[in-house]
Amino acid sequence: MSFEWPWQYNFPPFFTLQPNVDTRQKQLAAWCSLALSYCRHHKLYTLDVMEAQESPVFNNKKIERKLSLEAIQVVFEELRKKGNLEWLDKNKSRCLVMWRRPEEWGKLIYQWVSKNGMVNTVCTLYELSNGDDTEGEEFHGLEEWMLLRSLQALQTEGKAEIITMDDGKGVKFF
Amino acid sequence: MGNIFGKKKRTRVTEQDKAILQLKQQRDKLRQYQKRISLHLEKERLLAKQLLKDGKKEKALLLLKKKRYQDQLLDKTENQISNLERMVQDLEFAQIEIKVIEGLKVGNECLKKMHEVMSVEEVERIMDETQDAIEYQRQIDEMLAGSLSQEDEEAVLAELEAITQGDVELPEVPSDELPEVPEAAEEKPEKERARKKPQREMLAA
Repeated sequence: MSFEWPWQYNFPPFFTLQPNVDTRQKQLAAWCSLALSYCRHHKLYTLDVMEAQESPVFNNKKIERKLSLEAIQVVFEELRKKGNLEWLDKNKSRCLVMWRRPEEWGKLIYQWVSKNGMVNTVCTLYELSNGDDTEGEEFHGLEEWMLLRSLQALQTEGKAEIITMDDGKGVKFF
Repeated sequence: MGNIFGKKKRTRVTEQDKAILQLKQQRDKLRQYQKRISLHLEKERLLAKQLLKDGKKEKALLLLKKKRYQDQLLDKTENQISNLERMVQDLEFAQIEIKVIEGLKVGNECLKKMHEVMSVEEVERIMDETQDAIEYQRQIDEMLAGSLSQEDEEAVLAELEAITQGDVELPEVPSDELPEVPEAAEEKPEKERARKKPQREMLAA
């Protein structure tokens, strides 16, 4: 299944930040949703701003337009405000993208756990994200930080408890 | 308050859970090792093929020997993984057994408590009293029913007879599918005759 680009993607002015406030807001919203759905489609969890500029999402080779680094920063900042993104460093060059909130991931994982009758059992994080049993589940291949966040979300709901041991972490579902 | 919660949290993960986790982690490590070796094997197989093609038979043979050894390692790892998994399952099952016993214990205690409340003498007394009450009620019923005289009773019976006779006079309902329903209200001999009829029909068919 190939990624479906929104119509704006082939619209050259989309790649220049608009001066008009209203237009700019709409443009940013469109960029945000584009960036998120792109990451979702390709299952990307961490982005590098420099690399992102070269990736097709911000660089449309067909119409020879690409979003400037500053504009990307603005888009990312907007995403951060919405809670979908977190910077990894002070220079704002790398970031974590959460196209699904930790609570939603947690819910998905918990659904899988209860469907498989694994409530009240212990799992390793590796088992959840890389195990054979989760093959085909949406959270298969989830990066560890994201997995941990979603489990933490479940923990605050009282549905799971993270166990930390000397060599690695595990989780028990309730 | 925070202390209470802290304590509660700690109790939710038992020592057994930790042991299971450790076993599972070990298993994960073995899995990763397995993956690594199988990838390696695949690579070496290709390399051996390449060597054979190039005519370096000696080297290919050596490589295959190495591969064979790793194959054995892979088998061993598989065994170890299944050992670990069996252990995990045993542990989990033992936990379940403990829970079953606990459940039985609670049920047993509850039953005991309830039996304390219900002594045999008590039950006997209650049953006697109930019997007395029923007897008393029957007496009252008799007294009240006495308000109808013998003649009245006869009149009632006659009327009942008249009604049932009237029903017989009605033409029979020609239904083959549900022969029992219309006769349900009629008298018993009537019903039996009706029941025989469909049987005869069935025989004829």
